[in-house]
Amino acid sequence: MRKNIFFITLIIVSIAAPLFISNNFILRFATDILIFAILASAWNIIGGFTGYASFGNVVFFGIGAYSTSVLMSVSGLGFVVSFLLSGILAAFFAFIIGLPVLRLKGHYFAIATLGVAEAVKALVQNLDITEGNSGIYLPPPDLSVDGIYNFFFYISLVVLILLLLTTRLILKKKLGYNMIAIREDEDSANSMGVNTTMIKSISFSLSGFFTGLAGSIYAYQQGFIKPEPVFNVLITIKMIVMAVFGGLGSLFGPLIGSITIEVISELLSSYFLMAHTLFLGIIIVLTILFAPKGLIDVYGNKRSGLSYFLNNIKEHKV
Amino acid sequence: MTNKMDNNKTLLRCSGLTKKFGGLTAVDNVSFELKKDEILGLIGPNGSGKTTLVNMISGNIKPTGGDIVFKGRQLRGLKPYRIGRLGIARTYQIVKPFPGMTVLENVAVGAMNGKSEKNRSVKDAFTAAEEIIEFTGLIKYKNYMADSLSIASRKRLEMAKVVAMDPDIIFFDEVMAGLNHNEIDKATEMIQKIREKGISILIIEHVMRAIRLISDRIFVLHHGSKISQGPPDDVLNDKKVISAYLGKRYKQLVK
Amino acid sequence: MTLQILINGILKGGLYGLMALGMSLIWGVMNIINIAHGAFIMIGSYVTFFLFNSFGIDPFLSLVFSVPVLFFLGFIVQKHIINMVIRAEIFITLILAFGIEIFINNTALLIFTADVRKVKVAYGASNFSFFGATIPYVRLIAFGFAILITIFLFILMSRTKLGRAIRATSQDLEGARLVGIKVSRIYAITFGIGTALAGAAGTLWAIIFPVTPTMGGGLTLKSFVVTIIGGLGTMLGPVIGGLTLGIIEAFGTNWFGTTFESLISFTILVIILIFMPKGILKSKKE
Repeated sequence: MRKNIFFITLIIVSIAAPLFISNNFILRFATDILIFAILASAWNIIGGFTGYASFGNVVFFGIGAYSTSVLMSVSGLGFVVSFLLSGILAAFFAFIIGLPVLRLKGHYFAIATLGVAEAVKALVQNLDITEGNSGIYLPPPDLSVDGIYNFFFYISLVVLILLLLTTRLILKKKLGYNMIAIREDEDSANSMGVNTTMIKSISFSLSGFFTGLAGSIYAYQQGFIKPEPVFNVLITIKMIVMAVFGGLGSLFGPLIGSITIEVISELLSSYFLMAHTLFLGIIIVLTILFAPKGLIDVYGNKRSGLSYFLNNIKEHKV
Repeated sequence: MTNKMDNNKTLLRCSGLTKKFGGLTAVDNVSFELKKDEILGLIGPNGSGKTTLVNMISGNIKPTGGDIVFKGRQLRGLKPYRIGRLGIARTYQIVKPFPGMTVLENVAVGAMNGKSEKNRSVKDAFTAAEEIIEFTGLIKYKNYMADSLSIASRKRLEMAKVVAMDPDIIFFDEVMAGLNHNEIDKATEMIQKIREKGISILIIEHVMRAIRLISDRIFVLHHGSKISQGPPDDVLNDKKVISAYLGKRYKQLVK
Repeated sequence: MTLQILINGILKGGLYGLMALGMSLIWGVMNIINIAHGAFIMIGSYVTFFLFNSFGIDPFLSLVFSVPVLFFLGFIVQKHIINMVIRAEIFITLILAFGIEIFINNTALLIFTADVRKVKVAYGASNFSFFGATIPYVRLIAFGFAILITIFLFILMSRTKLGRAIRATSQDLEGARLVGIKVSRIYAITFGIGTALAGAAGTLWAIIFPVTPTMGGGLTLKSFVVTIIGGLGTMLGPVIGGLTLGIIEAFGTNWFGTTFESLISFTILVIILIFMPKGILKSKKE
């Protein structure tokens, strides 16, 4: 019930927001937050609910971005078709690569996904169709300046809401229970009749699908993309940190995490332009040290204040 | 009369099961049958290959040789989840509840999956899970997180999870280890009640008192080979068994 | 020509091996993948560059500085940061190390700027001929140092009391504690040794290749590849892994072009992880 209220409030506030915000800078900033919220929430499906911490989810973002770019500028397709195809291609790639990679566990899975992302980046840097390192241009949207800002805001919002609704639906179904069972104990789930390979692949593909859609939006918004920025491992790190910061394995945690972290980074970077990324490093370290279970846990925990944070450290140190 | 016929029907037949790890033979050419409604005890010293045998049947490890036939169907080479769906459930020696789920959710996952012809909806699975929790006496812990339970309750939860799968066969791997006398009696009672549901049971146990009481037959593994088989009293008095495994410890336990 | 490529591969591979040695030690003993490993290598490189540029200290001699500096740095980072989450889920330490890497890299960017630096020693260009292949002295000496340091670590781990304590801790944490080993201290020391090795690798790297504040990321990934190829738990693993990667890379880039270097190494990484996750030395199953 509380979740429903949260959902409805979120939708109303978001839809109404642009009507009151005439400042395009703020609208653009809100869009950035939404895109990161999509990335973090999509990561949450595989990393938070299924328990497979992927360190290569940026590969789906990059594939989404490049699919849209190639489909629009080389094949001359429209945005909507390219957008949907981008998500499907990213999901398909997740499924195929997931079959061997999801057999690995822990560190090995993390490194393998990181390796896949780096390998695909290196491939894109060397392919002719992606124009290698020189990058690729996309045709701009045929809209007024204000229209463009509104368009990207709303399309990101729609994708995020769809993602959260899908996740919520899954959690109430057998698929959701089986995903969590795998996270909690894969051997036991397997013996109980859970087709673990299939469930993991579906989960990874869903994560890939929405991440791919975000990549597609990003590419169209930027109008020009290159391999290094869209396959940057920092994007993976940011989505994980946002998901962890908000609360892993909770529906709205990643959204809360992305809003908080983006706002903090934005404030810091406006004061310390040079050291923007430096602060990201500090935020990551502090988040992990003091709230490894996320804001949702801080909020829901009986311990309060400093003792909560100190307890986290006591629990995890040697 | 038909009832008696059924009672002699073989559900699971393993023949010549062998597992080699490198140069070491963990299970050596073991054959046995599990009949319908039977409780079959499996005993043997530590490292005699009991768990390896169960792991092969449940698909967790691949046999080096031999056959596993369940209701006329070859199980060798199937993945664990396929075997689970065909109607064979197992517990793990080191209990594996889903720690971050409630007791009810743990059992519901068993009811949602398990034997495939059941194919329950989520709602039905929770209803079924509720009944099984009642049956196993865990009802007051229904909404507790699994990792907050005591050892005895955890073992019981492990039993509830597999019963929820509606299987034809359950392998219990040391579900009494670490329990006190009183808890062992309760577990013994529980296993008998599970058999009354029409589930056949293979039970690995070190607690001789319990296994002698509930098993219809017992077979003994030693260094991976079967050295004895038969009614509990015969097996436990078999000289080969006593010298190979039980020795003085047995006399203390049985008295 | 083939001999030249082979020699180039072996010489670079020795350095790769040294880089991965520290990562593999930390991973093996405390089950942490130190994503910041490359950042520590970078610091080692800058120590050498700074000493050479400001005081004219011979880069090989600067090993005497970079190794203790990096040991100290690693010791502190483990003791006061990483140790706080060492028992949390695996990916938590991974993310934390990423945070540390970002912090180190950006601090380096502020201090050293993004300019590419080079250690230009007088004897940098001298070389000799070996069956028609050209071998620069610096590369051979760097290779020699890499091998020497590896042997030194081997002796440290197998012959000393400290080495035995580290091995005991890695095999059985509770057991080590019972016999009176102070685990948190051993962890900090091990991490320090790991980063000290990174520092040594950084020094040798700076003698041969250009240095930038962002060079670390790529070297971390290379160290992964080497660690994975060689497998965990042996001193020989990183050496074998390093030489393998060095040789494959040398021939691969010769055939496909230098832009394919990272594609080749990451493809190897993924293939090895999928087909023989324990490394090529222990590839036989069970």
